Amino acid sequence: MVDLATKTILHDKLRFGITVAGVAFAVALVLFQVGLFLGLLDNASVTIEHAGADLWIMSKNTPNVDFAQPFPETRVERVRSVPGVENAGNLIVSFMVLSLPSGAQEGALVYAPEDFHAWSLPWKVTAGDVDDLRRGPYFFLDESSVKRFGAFDVGQYREVVGHRLKILGSTRDAKSFTTTPILFMDYALAQSLNPGTLRGGTTYILVKVAPGADVEAVRREIQARLPHNDVLTTAEWAAQSRSYWVKSTGLGLNMVLTIFLGVLVGIVVVAQTLYTSTMEHLKEFGTVKAIGGSNADIYGILGKQAAISAVVGFVAGVVPSMLARGPIAKSGLQLIVPLPLLGIVLVGTIAFCLLAALLSFRKVAAIDPGLVFRG
Amino acid sequence: METVLEATDVTKDFKEGRETVRVLRGVSLSIAAGEIVALEGPSGSGKTTLLSIMGCILTPTSGRIVVDGEEVRGDRPGRLPAIRKKSIGFVFQQYNLFPALTALENVEYALNIKGVRGRPARVEAEAMLDTVGLADRKKFLPRDLSGGQKQRVAIARALAARPAVLLADEPTANLDSTVGGQILELFRVLAKRERRGLLVVTHDPKVRTVADRVVLIRDGLIAA
Repeated sequence: MVDLATKTILHDKLRFGITVAGVAFAVALVLFQVGLFLGLLDNASVTIEHAGADLWIMSKNTPNVDFAQPFPETRVERVRSVPGVENAGNLIVSFMVLSLPSGAQEGALVYAPEDFHAWSLPWKVTAGDVDDLRRGPYFFLDESSVKRFGAFDVGQYREVVGHRLKILGSTRDAKSFTTTPILFMDYALAQSLNPGTLRGGTTYILVKVAPGADVEAVRREIQARLPHNDVLTTAEWAAQSRSYWVKSTGLGLNMVLTIFLGVLVGIVVVAQTLYTSTMEHLKEFGTVKAIGGSNADIYGILGKQAAISAVVGFVAGVVPSMLARGPIAKSGLQLIVPLPLLGIVLVGTIAFCLLAALLSFRKVAAIDPGLVFRG
Repeated sequence: METVLEATDVTKDFKEGRETVRVLRGVSLSIAAGEIVALEGPSGSGKTTLLSIMGCILTPTSGRIVVDGEEVRGDRPGRLPAIRKKSIGFVFQQYNLFPALTALENVEYALNIKGVRGRPARVEAEAMLDTVGLADRKKFLPRDLSGGQKQRVAIARALAARPAVLLADEPTANLDSTVGGQILELFRVLAKRERRGLLVVTHDPKVRTVADRVVLIRDGLIAA
């Protein structure tokens, strides 16, 4: 079968280039926006997902992992007594003020687990040994803090809420949604730095369920014993932490609006170029009809041209998005483009390009094949 | 002789604003297999309308059209494309070739539309181009062909799938007299050899030299 659709669309390379550019722009816009959004959301729950706990226990109505509220640390004993609990431990997550060598002050998010070995916090140590954190006024600082705190070296000192602490090591990939740098220190040290709030208190209890135990049953039992706390699975807690930022910051609305605009631009460009192309090729479509072709034959041509524009434009939009991941990562952001997202965007691009072709469908449906006789 | 195209007492009305204009007023015309009929007439006489009706592009307001034994019914316009596909080949004044397709592909695509696919379509398209003397130009795009060569490709395309009727609309209007003469001679040879009925709408007096019959239409009526 002679491929009139492909040959015609490739015959006018400039127009095809404009169509593809329009689609590629829309695809890249959507991928960048959603990818950056997913990257930010990943930061919002990265510590939850890496900690290695099955259940998280927190104060009632804690909105997200960063905004923790203290409660008595002794509640962990009640948790440990629940059947099916293999391990339970306290974790303090708390904002503290860090003084920089310049004299400026910045906020820092302290993660202080009671037992560093029970939980994967931190999960990627690039310098130092977490066991040393128990020995005195020390802390580990994540490498991502350089943008906010400036360069640092292990062995240097920083003031945390007025106390001089030594940087004993560094970590990687421990980030918060707000980009507030994360530092890791001993549980007791964290309590001593903020005694007014944290003395005798913790902000989370992490629970590891015994192999074979029913996580949901354990969760229900803990919830029954700690009625003044919330008990969530890791997945629930990560989802809630991400959802908080989506809903409270308008980021979700911003993303939806950008996607809408991207898609709109893509549809308009494709519809406009396809329609113009259709108008210029009306006589050819009339000829197709005159030699016995039906409207379905012409719809097939237009649909195929729209699909070709969609697929080529999709590829042209994906390539820069993928190439940009490295430079974006260097700036401290993440562009996360999972395969399902690519699949959804591809299907959406084809669907929207076909939608854009509907305008042309309407035009060719009304073609009078008699126009082929006009000079 | 076997009649391949027949129009009987055909009328055609068009709406122009609130008025109804009768363009054809009871035209009867038949074409036999292998016969060449030249249809002449001044502008606005109804030539192209009659061609459109006999080519199953338009339906008549009244009257009867029979193409290759099949009656064209005004109440079944959905059947027109199928009749065109099976029984009618068109040659246009402006050639109307697909600019993105080579000469061979232009003919092959018409065969595809008519239901011939794959290698048989390719072989038949090559044979058609050979018939019109363009075997050595089969890979040329229309922009690389002369006017006469384009019209030959258009004729080859019209002959695709061997329709019973060829309808030509001013086929020599854009050609110089030498090339126009060659095209007319090609029409004559093909009509006689392939036993096609050929209706040529024209202003070109040279068409008379190859036509078996000349029909004059004036004011929507056959005048002679």
